[in-house]
Amino acid sequence: MTNANTRRPHIFGIRHLSPAGAFYLRTYLEEKRPRLVLIEGPSDLGDVLEPITRPETKPPIAILAYTKETPVETILYPFAEYSPEYQAILWCRERGAACRFMDLPSEVFLGIARQRLGREEGPASERGEEERLNVYALLDEQAGEDGHETFWERTLEQTNRAQSYHQGANLFGESLRELSAGQEEDWPEILVREAYMRRQIRSALAEGFDPGEIVVVTGAYHVQGLLDPQAPPMSDREFALLPRAQASHTLMPYSDYRLSTRSGYGAGNKAPAYYQLIWEGLRRGEPSYAASAYLTRMAAFQRQQGMGVSSAEVIEALRLAGSLAKLRGGVQPALRDLRDAAVTCMGGGNPASLALARADVEIGTRIGALPQGVSRTSIQEDFYRQLGEWKLEKYRDIAAQDLALDLRENRNVSSRKAAFLDLYRSFFLHQLRVLGICFASLQQVSQDNATWAEHWVLRWSPEAEIQLVESALKGDTVAQAASFLLKEQAESAGSISGVAQVIEDAFTCGMEAALHYATGALQAMAVDAASLEELAQTASRLSAVIRYGSIRNLEAAPLTPILQQLFLRACLILPGACVCDEAASQGIAEAMEKLNRVQLAHEFLEQELWLGALEETARRDDLNTRLSGFAAAILLERGAMDEESLRLQVLRRLSRGVPAQLGAGWFEGLAGKNRYALIARLSLWEQLDAYLASLDGEEFKRALVFLRRAFADFSSLEKDEIAENLGELWGLNGQQVSEQLNASLKGEEQKLVESLGDFDFDL
Amino acid sequence: MEQNILRLPAEQLFQKEIDALIAAERDPVPTGWRMSPKSVRTYICGGRAGGVEITPKYIGQERLVEIAIATLVTDRALLLIGEPGTAKSWLSEHLTAAINGDSTKVVQGTAGTTEEQIRYSWNYAMLIANGPSQEAMLKSPVFRAMETGTIARVEEISRCASEVQDALISLLSEKRISVPELGEEVAARKGFSVIATANTRDKGVNEMSAALKRRFNIVVLPAPATLEAEMEIVNTRVAQLSQGLDLNASLPPQETVEKVCTIFRELREGQTLDRTQKLKTTSGVLSTAEAISLLCNSMALAGSFGSGKVSDEDLAAGLQGAVIKEEDKDGVAWKEYLENVMKKRGLKWMGLYRACRDLTEDR
Repeated sequence: MTNANTRRPHIFGIRHLSPAGAFYLRTYLEEKRPRLVLIEGPSDLGDVLEPITRPETKPPIAILAYTKETPVETILYPFAEYSPEYQAILWCRERGAACRFMDLPSEVFLGIARQRLGREEGPASERGEEERLNVYALLDEQAGEDGHETFWERTLEQTNRAQSYHQGANLFGESLRELSAGQEEDWPEILVREAYMRRQIRSALAEGFDPGEIVVVTGAYHVQGLLDPQAPPMSDREFALLPRAQASHTLMPYSDYRLSTRSGYGAGNKAPAYYQLIWEGLRRGEPSYAASAYLTRMAAFQRQQGMGVSSAEVIEALRLAGSLAKLRGGVQPALRDLRDAAVTCMGGGNPASLALARADVEIGTRIGALPQGVSRTSIQEDFYRQLGEWKLEKYRDIAAQDLALDLRENRNVSSRKAAFLDLYRSFFLHQLRVLGICFASLQQVSQDNATWAEHWVLRWSPEAEIQLVESALKGDTVAQAASFLLKEQAESAGSISGVAQVIEDAFTCGMEAALHYATGALQAMAVDAASLEELAQTASRLSAVIRYGSIRNLEAAPLTPILQQLFLRACLILPGACVCDEAASQGIAEAMEKLNRVQLAHEFLEQELWLGALEETARRDDLNTRLSGFAAAILLERGAMDEESLRLQVLRRLSRGVPAQLGAGWFEGLAGKNRYALIARLSLWEQLDAYLASLDGEEFKRALVFLRRAFADFSSLEKDEIAENLGELWGLNGQQVSEQLNASLKGEEQKLVESLGDFDFDL
Repeated sequence: MEQNILRLPAEQLFQKEIDALIAAERDPVPTGWRMSPKSVRTYICGGRAGGVEITPKYIGQERLVEIAIATLVTDRALLLIGEPGTAKSWLSEHLTAAINGDSTKVVQGTAGTTEEQIRYSWNYAMLIANGPSQEAMLKSPVFRAMETGTIARVEEISRCASEVQDALISLLSEKRISVPELGEEVAARKGFSVIATANTRDKGVNEMSAALKRRFNIVVLPAPATLEAEMEIVNTRVAQLSQGLDLNASLPPQETVEKVCTIFRELREGQTLDRTQKLKTTSGVLSTAEAISLLCNSMALAGSFGSGKVSDEDLAAGLQGAVIKEEDKDGVAWKEYLENVMKKRGLKWMGLYRACRDLTEDR
């Protein structure tokens, strides 16, 4: 052996997330007994090594490094239980050996990512995916079958000796390198990383570690690069030249599901739960464990779903998988063989029938856990503290769970905290909602208990964790971050309804300071002109806050003058706003409805003002007739229009000479509300009947369109009652008329209606 | 002699390839088989053996073929399911040809198939004259397969009555057949298995019992996944068939094959290939097998009555026959297809469009 060779440390090439790699790496470490293990991973993240080894830590977990400035760039290092790196870290802890990461510091990784982003203006993550694909697409072609996953599983995961894994992986990395060296898009980055890793190795040697006492754990691909005696380690000057970005990092729980979605080398694998089975099989010393466990779990899942799967079928599937593997020269069935065998023997040849079972058995639902207080950002700390404080920990689960909240005070308990537990939970969840953290989503609740009940669906996912970390830039606690965000939104809102949204959010989040801030912003803005819809929208939001303020223990009084101001403005512009076309009338009608409700809810809003505006709208002939009709409907409902004036209105609106579509449009507006009151007025129907009788053919067609629309959403019961009315008018049996009305169209009638489609409505 | 046979069994047609594969064998051969599973795969999916080029017999997912072969290795029975014309029988014939060198142990499932055709029956003259004896017994293909340790084929199993299907159950689970008349029990030798085929369109005819299904490994054969794959299948088969049939016509040009496959695929899937237009589907299946016979038919027309080159008129006649199976419904679908799709495809399709339209107007 040459001198150069003896100066080299031991090096173990692995594939990330490889059970066999993890298992044989342990054997290898046992054999070599190193004093120092160097692992491919950002060298400045050494502080997470200790918490990773604590017994409370349950993989899958991930190290997340992120830039401190927006836009946030992140890099992620996921570890499953069968990650060789994870097992190496554990081994070091057990045997008291030193353990270090040796790859580029995370701030350099993020610096490079940021530089790339600046250079290419493209989303970095997508590009990263492409780069990986290049090499692996090439490999997929070479490997035959269905790609490198299966190839790897057959050739390396199923090796039964440490020696052969070690050599196989090295050979694999070497040939991969030969295949692709220099052609990959991120080749320069690879060279830089390897130079840095060589630098780390050299400095370990300089510290006095004997080469024989060091084991380097790295991706098989890098083995050649690290061993290359010609390649120099990175110099101090070169190191200083690397781009950097201000970065922070944290440990986070990860999930099987997340592992499976980030397929591609290193970042994940498609079947985390199945790989877990391989790992367990290796630990038990039963190489065939994964195959039988996979198939029996599949069968068990099918049975749970009510599909019969017999043990005989499982046995047959296992045999079939075995002979499929032999066809491909394998000893143990690979995932692909097992899957196909399961489909053939248990699924009747139909892959879809096993799709759910596959998701369950291959991907799994495991999520990781970290000990309390492990190197998190302060906002994460706060999040977990609050989870505990509001007794929400059990909802931190990958499966969605319902949570019904009752915001009222619970008078059966003594402490204030317990009495308002649900209210505090609601504040907390709303803050998360505002921050866009996908942990909790609010569901609609039915009208009757809408004031004090909330219904949430809670589902934890690693995305939520990442979003949480990203929110760290906004504040140190969840509340602070939410408050910061709301202020920002209030400032950037372009319309008063936008600010009202912020006010509503601040209110539901229980954040008084933000509420007052946004109120000020609204006041400043309310001076400017706004449309009726906008005003109505804002007024109804403010009204909700004022009405339900007490239930959230919030003082809403400062909002009253603003609401008054907005309401006054709305009343003044209402008649003017009703000069509009058919398309806009729908929005205005909704606004009128909202304003009406707001007025009814608050005594401090002048009733006279509102009714006056409505009367004007109902009276004037130059407005959109549908809206005039709707105004009349509101007045009628509130008892502000008497029989006589209704009769006159109807006579005037539905008289010959008024274009038919205007008359019918008015009636449509009138029928938009309090239908029972209308139905009960026999005289109204008499007038309508007389009016229709007076129309000629062409006019009738025009009117018909509007009338059809007006009656479209009447229930059949309501139609029955109208029929009774008409029956009485015509001296017919109500039953018969009703049958006619509720019957569906006959062939000829259908044709007639269709011919209306060609009818020219332009006047 | 062989020249005069209309259709040779697969093992004779591809004798050379099978011999080459056997000669070049390097992997272990299962009991009762003539070649290793890997060689069977090569025989079906194509490749090389020794110096001989092996033509692909089944064009499609190689994985399905692997599953089928692996099933037979485990002595399980194999059930091939698929739409009509997805090469179920074709695959089963070639599997037996490669594994046993004998694809002729076939029971054709029909409504009239009896239990005796699955088990055994008697030569009644001898039975009456001499009583039951080995000589008087007429063994079914399945019986013979059990005795010799080979594979029997049951075609269209779902067309058989359920009692006939049930007769298979005990055979497949016990792997023995008892002949009470002779006081004998014949045990299947190693290598015995059954390949059955069933049609998804015939599902309702005699639904297979769960008990029977459990005894089979089920492989579903799909219609060809892409236009290219389907054209390849059609090309290969048309070339093979026309060799044997002396059609006196040249092979149809690629463009014609493409047109036929396009029409078939579009009508089968109910949408145009570019997925922009929805189409009415027809009552017929329009399988790949039909496309093949359509082209052969056109070649026969061209060879016997035309120039020897497949013209648009030759094609049109066949197309109309293939597409229109039920006059009312299919006629409308076909006319719509002609007007809405084919007519708008431009010059390349004009000739065919005119020929087809002329025919529909004649009717």
